Amino acid sequence: MPVKEENKHEWFPESNSLGLAVLIAMVLLWSSSEKLSGANHRFKLSGPVEDLLENYCYDCHDETQKGDIRLDQLADLETDKRLDLLNQIQEQIYFKHMPPKKKDQPDDEERKVLLDFLSRELAVFEASTLEGKLQKPEFGNYVDHEKLFSGEYCDLPAFTPDRRWLISEYIYNAKFQRILKGRAVMNHGKRRIEVRGSKRLDRLDISNPFLLPKTIGVRYYANEDLTGGHLSSMLTNSQKVSQHITEYLVPRHGKSRTPYLPSVVEILKMEEDHKATLALRREFLENHIERICAEIYGGKHESLLPKFIPVVLKPLPKLKEGEKYKRAPMNVSTNMLKKLEADRLVYHTLSDPEFAHLDDDQFRVYCERIWFFRGDHSRTIQSRMALLREYVPDFREIAEKNGKRIKKVVYQALEDDDMAAIRAAILKHRKKGDFYLDVIEKCMDDWEKGFQEERIAAGPPSDELFGQLVTELSTLILERPPNGEESSQYLGQIKIYTEKLGRRKAVQKLIQTFLLSTEFVYRNEFGIDEPDEHGRRMMAPRDASYALAYALTDQSPDEELVAAAQSGRLNTREDYRREVERMLASRDGRTIIDPILEDKNYRDNSTDLPIRELRFFREFFGYPKALEVFKDEKRFGSDRLDQSTNRLVNEADRTVEYILEKDENVIEELIGTEKFYVYHDGDNERMREASEKIKRIYAYFKNTGWEDFGYPELEKHKEFLRKEPMRSINPDKLKSGNRQGDGLKLFKKSLTTITARLDKGQKHAPPFDLYRGYGTDFMWGGNVAKFWGYRKDNWDWSPEQPMKVANRRGMLTHPAWLIAHAQNTETDPVIRGKWVREKLLAGTIPNIPITVDAVIPEDHHQTLRSRLASATETNYCWKCHEAMNPLGYSFECYDDFGRFRLEEDLEYPENLLEKKPDKLPGRNHLIDLRDIYKSLPVDASGHLAGTGEAELDGEVDNAVDLAGRLSKSRRVRQSIIRHAFRYFLGRNEFLSDSRTLIDAEKAYLENGGSFDAVIVSLLTSDSFIYRKPLTN
Amino acid sequence: MTSRRYFLKASALGAGAMTLAPSFNQLFAAAGTVGAPKRFIFIRKSSGIRPLEVALPTFSDKDKALDEKKEALEVDLDQHELPKWLRGLEEHKENMTILQGLSAKMSENVHFSFSSVMGCFKSNRNTLSAIKRTTIDFELAKLFPSPFGHVELSFAGGRTGIVSGYSAPAPQTRNYCYADPETARSELFKSVLNPEAVTSDNDMLSFLRSKEGLEESGIRGREKQRQEAHLQSIEAIRERNEKLIEISGSLAKFLPEIDPVHADGGPNASTPEKQAAMTKVMISALKANLTNVVTYTIDDLGTPITGLPGNEADRVGIHPLGHDEAFGGVPAWKTREQIRISHVNQIKAIVEELKRTPEGNGTMFDNTMIMYFPENGETHHGVGKESPFVVMSGKKCNLDMAGRYVRLPKLGVEGHKTLGNWYTTLLNAHGNLMEHYGDLDLEMARKKLDQTGPIQQFMA
Repeated sequence: MPVKEENKHEWFPESNSLGLAVLIAMVLLWSSSEKLSGANHRFKLSGPVEDLLENYCYDCHDETQKGDIRLDQLADLETDKRLDLLNQIQEQIYFKHMPPKKKDQPDDEERKVLLDFLSRELAVFEASTLEGKLQKPEFGNYVDHEKLFSGEYCDLPAFTPDRRWLISEYIYNAKFQRILKGRAVMNHGKRRIEVRGSKRLDRLDISNPFLLPKTIGVRYYANEDLTGGHLSSMLTNSQKVSQHITEYLVPRHGKSRTPYLPSVVEILKMEEDHKATLALRREFLENHIERICAEIYGGKHESLLPKFIPVVLKPLPKLKEGEKYKRAPMNVSTNMLKKLEADRLVYHTLSDPEFAHLDDDQFRVYCERIWFFRGDHSRTIQSRMALLREYVPDFREIAEKNGKRIKKVVYQALEDDDMAAIRAAILKHRKKGDFYLDVIEKCMDDWEKGFQEERIAAGPPSDELFGQLVTELSTLILERPPNGEESSQYLGQIKIYTEKLGRRKAVQKLIQTFLLSTEFVYRNEFGIDEPDEHGRRMMAPRDASYALAYALTDQSPDEELVAAAQSGRLNTREDYRREVERMLASRDGRTIIDPILEDKNYRDNSTDLPIRELRFFREFFGYPKALEVFKDEKRFGSDRLDQSTNRLVNEADRTVEYILEKDENVIEELIGTEKFYVYHDGDNERMREASEKIKRIYAYFKNTGWEDFGYPELEKHKEFLRKEPMRSINPDKLKSGNRQGDGLKLFKKSLTTITARLDKGQKHAPPFDLYRGYGTDFMWGGNVAKFWGYRKDNWDWSPEQPMKVANRRGMLTHPAWLIAHAQNTETDPVIRGKWVREKLLAGTIPNIPITVDAVIPEDHHQTLRSRLASATETNYCWKCHEAMNPLGYSFECYDDFGRFRLEEDLEYPENLLEKKPDKLPGRNHLIDLRDIYKSLPVDASGHLAGTGEAELDGEVDNAVDLAGRLSKSRRVRQSIIRHAFRYFLGRNEFLSDSRTLIDAEKAYLENGGSFDAVIVSLLTSDSFIYRKPLTN
Repeated sequence: MTSRRYFLKASALGAGAMTLAPSFNQLFAAAGTVGAPKRFIFIRKSSGIRPLEVALPTFSDKDKALDEKKEALEVDLDQHELPKWLRGLEEHKENMTILQGLSAKMSENVHFSFSSVMGCFKSNRNTLSAIKRTTIDFELAKLFPSPFGHVELSFAGGRTGIVSGYSAPAPQTRNYCYADPETARSELFKSVLNPEAVTSDNDMLSFLRSKEGLEESGIRGREKQRQEAHLQSIEAIRERNEKLIEISGSLAKFLPEIDPVHADGGPNASTPEKQAAMTKVMISALKANLTNVVTYTIDDLGTPITGLPGNEADRVGIHPLGHDEAFGGVPAWKTREQIRISHVNQIKAIVEELKRTPEGNGTMFDNTMIMYFPENGETHHGVGKESPFVVMSGKKCNLDMAGRYVRLPKLGVEGHKTLGNWYTTLLNAHGNLMEHYGDLDLEMARKKLDQTGPIQQFMA
C-alpha cells in the first residue's frame, strides 16, 4: 500500500539524504501490498544488489570474514540467521557506518538500492528491527542537528500522531495512591509533611509492572506497548487490590461521612453486619464461656467438661561435664509466650490479687487447666508448659512491674437478643466432653448458616444499586462516569459474577475488570473535531488535561484542569499556556523526589517544584545512578558510605532544584555553576542554628580540661548540659549513656569531634556527630565530605549554601555524576566522554561492534588513561573513541568517588606503601582508612570538538575548563532543549518539529534563560497540541 | 507488533508470575521443550553454616590443616565419613558435593540476606528498588520452562498462606511464595481442587476481550496493532486456562495427600511434620512436571521451631540459638545440629523419592540438582567470606563435581571463587553463556584479581 503524501513527509528525520522516510516507505510497501508468505519465499540477490555488494562489501566480508561477518553466502544461510544478518547490514548502511570511512563509499542512489532490497527482504518476514530502533530515545540524535535549527524546515506542519501512551511507574503509583487513599509523610526541615509520589501502600504490597528502563537520559517514551507481562502482573495486582478494597477500605471508611464506595457498603451491608455480629459473639464467648455455661448448667456444668489430662514434660537433660548451657534470656521467653498466645492469661493471672496466693506450681496447674478445658491443642499446651517450667519467676517479675498497665477482661453482657442467641446455641450444641472451643465453633457454624440463609432470602441487589456501583467504580478507577452503553455492559457482567460467585467476590471481580481495562494503563492522546489543512486536530480536552498534567506531574489533572476541560477552556493554544504557566508557578504541596531514597528511609527527599521538571534534569544527567554503583568502603576511607551516597544524591537534587527555582540561565548554571550544597539540607537558617549550638558547646568546654574529666568534674557542668543538651547525655543521669558507652565516654567522644571541627580556626561547625546527633539538627551522611575532598577534622564548612567549592564546575563535576559515570573501582573516561558527546553535543556514537572485546589492559605501572589509550587509540578503535576519549580524559582529575586529585593511586598490592586499618578504630570517623599506594601524576588534559564555535573548541586543561566552555555553547543549549522535547513529548524529534525546537530556544533566550519558558513553549507548540491519525 | 509468541515470552517469567500460578497462566509456556528437563532445588537455611560443621571428620592431618587454613583442597567423599548431621545422606555420597570456600560478600549477610543471596547484590534490607536483577533460580527457570515456571516455598517468619518471597523474577520485582504445605498443595493443584476459580477468571477475560474489541472501531494504524496484540494477550491467557481445565484429570493422580494437622496453616503441626509435608508437596509438583525449579526457604530467624528431638516440648527460636541461647536444658549447638538434621531428612526424602521415579532410561533424580546453603554466609552473623554449599546432583548433571569435598582458594587470593562464579557456572553449564552473573567482589577487584566467569573445574 503506498504511503499517502500527507502522512509521509513531515515527520521523518534526515540523518542522511535518504532518511527514514524512504526506509519506512519501503518497509510499508513491502509489508502490506506485496507481502509474501515467508514459507514460500526464496531468497535471491538481484543483479544490481550483487554488484553493489561485490563493489563495496566482499573485499572484507567474503571468505576473509572480517569481524566474523560473511556476506557472499547469504542464500545458503538458515532463514533466522539470514534475517539477523540482513538487519545488521540494514543498520550499517542506514547509519553509514559501513563501508569504513577510508574505503570507497556508495553514493546515495546506490545506498537506496541496497536499502530497498534489504527492506523488501525483511518485510517478507516482518523482521525489520530498524524502524523500532529509530523510535527509541538513544537514536534521537540521528536527526541532523544543523538542519533542525537551520530554520529551513520551519514551515513543515508539526504534530504528534494520535496515540496511547503507556503509563509510567510513577503514574501507576500515583493512581493506586489515589484509588486506595494512600497517605505518605516525610521530613521537611523540622516538620513532618504529607507528600505525593510514594510507592508504599498501607497494608498492601503490589508489584509495579511499568518500571522504566534504568538508563541515563530520557527514560519514559510513548513507544512501549502493553504486553502479556504487564497484563500478567496487572491480573495479580487487581486481585489483591480488589480484596484490599472490600476487606479493608470499605469497612474502614464505611461509617464515615464520606464512605468509600457507598454502593459496596450497601451491597455488603447485610454480610458485614453478620460478620460483626459473629465477631462480637465469638469474642464474648472466648472470654466468658465458662461463666455462661456455669450459669446455664449450674451444678451440672463441671460434669459436662472433659476429663483433665495434664501434659507430660520430659525431665530437663543433665549436662555432660564441661558442657555449657546458656538459657535464652527473658526477652526471648516473653516473645515466645506471646507467640504461643499465652501471654494474656499468664500476665492477667499473675497481676490479679485474687490469684496472689498461687505459688509457681499452683499457677502452672491453674493455667494448664484453663487451656485444657478451652480445648487448645495439646502440643501448644506442652510448649507453654515447657516455657512456664523455666520462666515463671521472670513472668511474675514482669507482671508485677506492669501490673497497672495490664487491662483486665471485665464481664459485660451483650444485648438481650445476642445473649438469648448464645444461650440457645450453647444449649443446642454442647455435648458432654466438649471443650469450650468445640462448643464455640458449633455455635458459630450454626449462626453462619442461618445468616447465609437470610442473605439468600434477601435476593441479589437491585439493578439500581449495581448501576450505582458501576458508576462509582468507573469514577474511582477511570476518573469518569460510564456512558450508557458501558453501564449496561458492566451491569450485565456484575450480574453474571454475582450469580456464580456471590456478592463479595462479584464486587471484587468487577473492580478487577475495571483495573484491567486498557483505559486504566494507557494515556489517550487523540485529536477530535475537524482537521486543519494538514489533517491535524487539537487534542480532545479531556485527553489534553491528562497530557498537560502528566507532562509536569505524575498526578491526574487537578481541579482547575478538570474544570477547564469540562467548560470548554482547553481548546486553544492560549488555554494550554494558561494552564501550563499556572502549574509551573504552583508550589502547592511536595512530591517525593527519589523512590530509592524513599526505600532507604532517607527522610528529607521531597520538592515543591513540579516533579517532572526536576526529574528531567536528574534523568538527563543521570546522577541518581550513583546510588546503584557498588563501592568499597575501604577505598572510600570510612564506613557509612551508603548514607553518604544517599546524601550526595539528595544534595545534587538540591543544587538542581536551587537553579530551577531561580530560573535564570538555567542551562549555563547547571553546566557551569561553582556553587553546590555540601552536607546541607537547603535551609540556611536551620544549618546556622545547628552550627551555633556546636560552637557554644566548644566555647564553653574549650579551656576546661575536659579531656581529663571524671564524673565529679562532669557533674559540675550539669547546668550547662541542661541548657545545651548533648544527645544521649542526661545531665541528671550522667552514667546512663547508650550502647556505645556511658555518659562520660560519649561526652568525650563528642567533644573530640567538636574540637576537631573548630580548633583550627574554622568559622562554622557542620552538624555531624560520631554516635547520634543533636536532635533534629543532626543529619546523616556526614562522610559526604569525603567525596568533596574535605577532611572532617578541618572542614571550612558553611551554613550559607549553596557555596563555592574549589576545583568544581557544574553538575558534571559533582561527585554524584562522576560516580554514576564510573566503574566500581575505576573511573570511566569512555562513558563520561560518550555522555558529553551524545547529551551535550548532540552527537552519535555507534554501538560497540560485537567483535570487539572491550577490556582495558592491566599494567600495574601505568595510569588508567595510559592503559585506555593503548587499547583504543589504534586506527580501528579510534574512529569511534576519538569522539569520546578526549572529552572523557578531562575528568581524570577526579577519581571514581568523584574526589579531586592530582595524582592517581596505582592500587595494586605490589604498589602498597602504607596499609591502613580495615575498620575504624573506636568508630572514629576522623581517621582515613584508605591504604597508601605509589601514584603517578594525573593527566586531565583533553580536547573539545563539536560545539561549532571556534572560541570554544580546542584543547582543555581539565573538566573544570571543559565545563566552563560547554556552559557557553549554543550547541549544548540546543542539545538540552532537544532532550527536553523528547522528555515532554515522549518521542524523538523530526524535521517537522524544527519550528518547535527553534521557538523553545528563542523562548529560553528571551526570558533570561528560563527553563520554565522552554517548557511553556514546548507544551504550547504545534508538536504538542496537534494530533493526527496515521494509517501506518 | 506483539504476537502471541511474544506474549508468551514476555509473560512466561515476568513480574507477577507467581500469583498467576494459582491460575496456571504460564501453563503452556513449556511447549516445545524436548526431552527430560533439568531440575534445580535451592534450599535456603538461616543462621549460617559454619565451615567446620561441613568439614570431614576423617581428614588426614595434612588435609585438615589445609582446610583450616582455607587453602585449596579436594578429596573424594567415598574415602571419608560425613559429619554426623549429614549422615542421613551417607547412601548417596556419590551424588554429594561439599563445596567450601565460595564467598558471598557482594550479597547481604549478618542476620538476613533476603533476595541477595540468590541475586548477588546488596538487598538494602529487603527494599524493592535494591533488587538489581533476576535471581539465579528464575534465570534457570527460563532455561527449563514449565507450567509454573518457578515455585517458591517458605517457612520464613512462621507465616502462612501466599506471602511475599525472596526470589525475583525481574529487577525490582518480588516473588510470592507458598508459606505452608496446605496452601502450596491447594494452589499448585488448584485446577484439580478448585476449577471454579480458573473459570471465573475466564469469564472476566472474555468480557474484557469483547469490550476492548468493541472499542477498536476508532483506532487506526499502530494503535490498532497494539489493540490487536492486547486482545491476543487476553485470549492467550484464556486459552491456557481452558487447557488447564482440560488436563486437570491427569494432574489429579499426582495430588499429594497431607495430614489434617496442616489445615489452616497448620498452627499445631510440628516442624518436622511441616517440613515433611512441604517436601511431599514439592515432590508431587516436580513429578507432575508443574515446575523444574523450586526455591525453598526452609527457615529464617523468625521461623518457630517445635518438636525437635531433644526439645520435643519446646518452641525454640533460631535467633537465640544463633547467640548460643538455649531451650529446654539442651545446649544450643545440639539444637542447631538437630535443625540441620531435620533439613537433611528433607533432602534425603527428595533424593530417594526422585530416585524411585523412572524417567527416560533412568530416574528423575538423574536430572536434578539440590543445593543446600546458608542464606547469610558462614555464621549466625555471617560476613560472607565463606558460604558453604552442600550439593546433591544426579548422574546426568551437567557439572562434574559429584562425590567430592572441594575447598576453593580463600577470598582475596588468586583462584578464589565467589557466589557469582558459582551461579555463572550453573548458567553456563545449562545453556546461558553469560559472562558473569552478579555483582563483583570489591576485595578481589581492589586486588585486581580475576573473578569473572564459571568455575572451570566443574564444567563437564
